Amino acid sequence: MFRKILIANRGEIALRILRACRVLGVESVVAYSEADRESLPVQLADEAICIGPADAKRSYLSASAVISAALVTGCDAIHPGYGFLSEDEGFADVVAAHGLTFIGPSSAVLEKFGSKAATRELLSAHGLPTIPGSHGMLRDELHALSEAERIGYPVLIKPSAGGGGKGMRMVRTARELESSLRVCRSEAKAAFGDDSLYLEKWLDENRHVEIQVAVDRYGHGVHLGERDCSVQRRHQKIIEESPTPALSDAARLELAELAARASVTAGYENIGTLEFLVDAAGAFYFIEINCRIQVEHPVTEMLTGIDMVALQIRIAAGEPLGFSQPDVSFRGHAIEFRINAEDPAHDFRPGAGLVERYHAPGGPGVRMDSHLFSGYDVPPFYDSLLGKLIVWGPDRPTAIARSRVALDELVVEGVATNVAIHQAMLLNETFLEGRMTTNLLDRVGSAAFLAAAARG
Amino acid sequence: MPGAIRSETHETAAANGSAPDRDADRAAIAGSIGELLPALIAKLGATGLAELEVRQNGLRVRLRRPTEGSASRDRRSTDRADRGDRAARAGSTPTGPAHSTGLAPVGPGRDGREGRDGRAASPRDDNRAVATSPAVGIFQPRSSARAGTRVRAGDRIGTVDMLGVPQDVVAPNDGVVGANLVEPGDAVEYGQGLVVIEFATAAATATATAAAADR
Repeated sequence: MFRKILIANRGEIALRILRACRVLGVESVVAYSEADRESLPVQLADEAICIGPADAKRSYLSASAVISAALVTGCDAIHPGYGFLSEDEGFADVVAAHGLTFIGPSSAVLEKFGSKAATRELLSAHGLPTIPGSHGMLRDELHALSEAERIGYPVLIKPSAGGGGKGMRMVRTARELESSLRVCRSEAKAAFGDDSLYLEKWLDENRHVEIQVAVDRYGHGVHLGERDCSVQRRHQKIIEESPTPALSDAARLELAELAARASVTAGYENIGTLEFLVDAAGAFYFIEINCRIQVEHPVTEMLTGIDMVALQIRIAAGEPLGFSQPDVSFRGHAIEFRINAEDPAHDFRPGAGLVERYHAPGGPGVRMDSHLFSGYDVPPFYDSLLGKLIVWGPDRPTAIARSRVALDELVVEGVATNVAIHQAMLLNETFLEGRMTTNLLDRVGSAAFLAAAARG
Repeated sequence: MPGAIRSETHETAAANGSAPDRDADRAAIAGSIGELLPALIAKLGATGLAELEVRQNGLRVRLRRPTEGSASRDRRSTDRADRGDRAARAGSTPTGPAHSTGLAPVGPGRDGREGRDGRAASPRDDNRAVATSPAVGIFQPRSSARAGTRVRAGDRIGTVDMLGVPQDVVAPNDGVVGANLVEPGDAVEYGQGLVVIEFATAAATATATAAAADR
């Protein structure tokens, strides 16, 4: 096991990693930017070190600042969390070159799975049906247009690095494609420091279902079930749940086993998430693999009882999995709500500022992962995630009932949040019947959606 | 600036005689200090100078305000020094010096040119500014920028080595190099105060005042 881990992230995930380190009995250092000096992870840390100014390019996205911080504080491993440097294979390489361990797949594995286009081909060769997409990255406008023509509109423009809906646009015509390319490039550049884009076939009525896998260094792998992330706003997941209402139990199991088998045989290592689109007929297409801990990992933790972050750290430290597929059992139903500093009344304008009052809900099956506290000043420089409310119940209706109570109990004063959208979703027939597709919110428009919920 | 003033007295060659001589000298020193100190403290308080040195009858008295680095006003609930201690008690075996010493509390970015102005305490008062670290890494002062050296704003007075790439530590203003707040070779974090730069005008006044007191 590691001696000391540098936590190279912020917000709720920095806190989550700090807790996992403590459970494992490993020391940790929280690396922070000047804007996060007063943040909860920094306050609760055993040790913390300022790595740069508020601008993420010079702090959380600066490989040299992060590695230098790890070296001067005597760390032997770096946990990148999600976003920022978490999927930058170049970063994992440099980390290894400095004699440190990147907590995630090894750089050799990341190299293999780093390019989304190459990964699609690799996993396709290992038995996964894949979504049609562009061959490699888009070189220029002309290349983009010809690739889109070949795949067939509508297509989705996607950034090679990172996720979270940034730099992503669905376009139906060549004209839309032309006008969106530049926006996507600049968004991707700002969010991930990498502006390479590719195209993917867009399925109009699709569900987003992902499989969590865990593979140790010795080739032992398991799946930890699936998560349904179909409730999205502009390609950004806002609600995730498991089990997925989209597939039958048999189909869920088939997909999960297929994903686990393909990951092992293709040589994947550590925890990973394989994302699939499921069409109206129930056919599934592999789209990408996420080689990091994901925002929605608590959903899996609630069902399996497995600490995903601790597992990720143990695998990176070279420990064997220690369990096999029959040891993994799934219990009940869990739903996660992302609480974002976004104002639904003003086109989801991201907010910042002082949280005057904060109260986290409680009760059976209720978990709040958040870095908020009363008096916390939300900085305007980073993404809008304020926390995650995760609610478990023995079945979906119970989980939904508990979620309503918990969302009503949650208090965040001073900064506008998207809680109203979640509350409206829990009144929406399509959601309640489990028939939601990724365009549910965007098709009606959030304003109309909220108004419909208000009318009851 | 609070009025806390530290005094240091230095015995001089006059104190090196025989035992009776030494007793007489001690009495003379005590007398001088009794006269001098209150006047000097008043003077230092009134001028807002950082440091004052007086030589009289073989006796040298230097008064200095607490430096930025030793002041407690920047201390926060997340005090790194305390963390360092905790880590040390927990039996950690640090490879770098950062947590054995504990990192000092940090002001905002270099002289307000970056970071969020006015949010944190500025490492600057009427007489001095503090050159802060441009990066997280290992600090080395520049040999040509010893204490007492005149510098112009923007002059390089040291480096912070970040993964083998030296990042310049620059003087935030014209002045004279004062105390180092960290040792050469220390691990420092971004924004940490490294070297005091006395303002040129204040330094000149201090020299003039000291010269006057010498006569």
